[in-house]
Amino acid sequence: MDASEREQYRAAIQGDREAFEMIIRTHSRTLFAIAYSILQSREEAEDVVQDSLVKAWKTRWRVRDPEKFPAWLCMIARHRAHDVFRKRRTVSRFDEAIEATDPESPDTTALDQHLHAALADLPELHRAALTLRYFEEMDYHTIENTLGMTNGALRGILGRALASLRKQLRPALASLD
Amino acid sequence: MTTIHDEIDNWLAADLHGELSENERSVLHTHLVDCATCRKTHQETKTMNKILEETLAQEKPDLRFEHRMLSRFRSRIPQRSGLVKSLVDVMRLRAVQITAVAAILLALIQVGRMITGERANMLRGREGYANEELFRQQRSQVASGVGRAGGLDKSDELAAGRSKDLAIKAPPPSLPASRPDFHENAKTPSTTVAQGKVAQPEVTEMPGVFAAPENFARAEAAEQKPAETPAPALANRKLIRNATVQLEILSFDDALQKITAFANEQHGYVATTDSQKQSNGKLRGEVVVKILPENLDPFLQKLRGLGELKNQTLGTEDVTKAYFDTDARLKNAHVMEQRLIDMLKMKTGKVSDLLQVEKELGRVREDIEKMKGDLKYWDSQVQFATVTVSLAEKDMEEPAAFLLKERAQLSLYAPDVEKIYNDIKALASPKVQITNAQLNRDYSGRVSATMSMLIAPEESDAVIGRVKGFGRVENFQMQTQRIAQGGSGISENAKTKRDKVELNISVSREEQEQALQQTSLRIRTSSVDEKAKELRALAEKQGGRVRNSTFNRDPDGRELANVWLRVPMKNYFSLMQSLNSLGKVENASVQRQDRTDAQIDEASAPADVSIQVYSQGNIISHETGLLATLRRTLAQSAGAIMWSLRMIGVAIAFLAPWAIALIALIWITRHIIRTNR
Repeated sequence: MDASEREQYRAAIQGDREAFEMIIRTHSRTLFAIAYSILQSREEAEDVVQDSLVKAWKTRWRVRDPEKFPAWLCMIARHRAHDVFRKRRTVSRFDEAIEATDPESPDTTALDQHLHAALADLPELHRAALTLRYFEEMDYHTIENTLGMTNGALRGILGRALASLRKQLRPALASLD
Repeated sequence: MTTIHDEIDNWLAADLHGELSENERSVLHTHLVDCATCRKTHQETKTMNKILEETLAQEKPDLRFEHRMLSRFRSRIPQRSGLVKSLVDVMRLRAVQITAVAAILLALIQVGRMITGERANMLRGREGYANEELFRQQRSQVASGVGRAGGLDKSDELAAGRSKDLAIKAPPPSLPASRPDFHENAKTPSTTVAQGKVAQPEVTEMPGVFAAPENFARAEAAEQKPAETPAPALANRKLIRNATVQLEILSFDDALQKITAFANEQHGYVATTDSQKQSNGKLRGEVVVKILPENLDPFLQKLRGLGELKNQTLGTEDVTKAYFDTDARLKNAHVMEQRLIDMLKMKTGKVSDLLQVEKELGRVREDIEKMKGDLKYWDSQVQFATVTVSLAEKDMEEPAAFLLKERAQLSLYAPDVEKIYNDIKALASPKVQITNAQLNRDYSGRVSATMSMLIAPEESDAVIGRVKGFGRVENFQMQTQRIAQGGSGISENAKTKRDKVELNISVSREEQEQALQQTSLRIRTSSVDEKAKELRALAEKQGGRVRNSTFNRDPDGRELANVWLRVPMKNYFSLMQSLNSLGKVENASVQRQDRTDAQIDEASAPADVSIQVYSQGNIISHETGLLATLRRTLAQSAGAIMWSLRMIGVAIAFLAPWAIALIALIWITRHIIRTNR
């Protein structure tokens, strides 16, 4: 983290709105990726990002060390996404019957469905790594930093995630071919 | 060791994501050429990657995502208005924060001060404060000057007014002119003159007083003026002035001479003098000087030069009213007297009436005399002011002499208390007085004596020395007290006198003295009785004394002798050494009690030694050698065998009934089984 970044975080913690807005510009996509990895829904992920930002602004004084500000933001987003996820599961029990009768949207291909199902089966950390990689095209080092992993751990995670997806989608791929 | 083949998933993912180094990539590609399985996996992973990229690209947030986030954030957290924002911005500065904290602290201090009622000027520098104080003093002095001057002026005005009144009423129609002097004073022209004179200083003073505080000296000068000026103005007023002055002077006689000279200069006289000589030779006294009122102030000024002024009071008693009242009553009384005399001359009426008139005339005359006396007294008092000068020579409190009181406390130990008691009593002489002598013998036969004596100072050292020689000194304390007489503090010239020395002696028997050192030891020897005797002889030789000794022999032939000795400390070590000749010294333990508070003579202080002389008895023979040892061993082993046999017997007695019962049970069971077959 370079000095200017740290200064920006420090200013944001002390209530500098412009600094905070700059952080929104640079970090909201990362937050989105994290929220999406948990919820796998764009709308909900956006809401989560929004809520997390507001919450972060209101409780910014809790962060003592400016260096930990990005990690703290990610943590808020993750917690918020989990909250939404839990709520959705309780609600969806009632909605299931209705949704089941709905005809499938015509634009969702069979492969997409398979993929989403396969993604849903992945551990959360694997999904988060995948979304960060494919949404933001982040390099491994940045992803490791964002997710708080040790150096070099990501290669294994992404390898396993891809392999797992590949195995699950093999029948679908075969049929596609 | 893991190979690329094992981790092909990781390698392929990293390759696709462009995270392999150049080296790694070449290694991977080499492997892919070799391994068909991995090649297949590579193909599938590539497809998977593509699908993921395509699918997730759809889910990616659009380009306006950040913008949307920002605008929604702004709408949910509205921006503060310009003023508030700038205020917050300003508050973000470190300097402003520090200033704010300081301001809050100051405000708290101020609030605290308001609550406690402390005044704000406490913070000012001392110098400023002092200056202010000085200024205030000046002002108050000036003010008092004004007050005093004003006061005088006022009283003068009053006097003038009153004299005017008097002047108007001056010729009372009822009174015939009998006192010409009064009429002279009361004449109108004189009052007008007085009035003019009084008014004048008032006019001249005013600018001097109110000009500025800096013109302090002038104001003071102005203040003194009216004190001197009123003399002629108040000629018709009856003022008794008197002053008291307390002075501390070096020499009473010089001061008295000077006072007399001053009084003569100022046309006064010394009325009375009175002096007392203190026990320390210093003089204290009082001089009463009569002096003309108008000369009072210069006289007082001169007095101040005599010595240190301790106190001065100046009082003025205005007896004008009483004087003139008495004067008027006197005139009435004169008229009354005249009438009564006329009545008597006419000689009409009864005798009893005449007698009544006579009596009345006597009373009136008595009144007249009294009033005349009063007037004369006042006249004399007014004519001269009275100055009472109290004189005291310097260092009045210096003591005249010192008395050196010595008190000694002596504790003695002696073998024969009664003898010493008598010896000390024999010391009595005119210079050595025994005030108290007591010989006590308690129920256990212990004797002790207490004595007190007063010794003339020149004899004290010799007597105390002799008493000390009678016994062993346990404790000696001397207390000296210096008592100032006729004053307090220190004095260079005062003599010091030695008072009689008080000596308190307590004598107790040596036995009662606690030993300085206590030693106990054991000596093993074969002939106890003999050694105990030797021991006693040794102790006698070393100047010790046997306090107690016991001897006993038990049926086993063991002998034990206990000997308690007391020797002076100086002989203790030689005694201990000689003990070695008696036998084997064992278990020597020494206990020493140092009495730090008492100054005791260590060399002759007693040391207690308790010695136990013992033999081992004859039951175990003193035989040594192989045979004896063999015999003893056999005897002991025989004893041991007998003992173990006994133990076995006991054990059998315990176990046998159970064993018999068990065997019987087994036998019966077997028997039953056999018969059943």
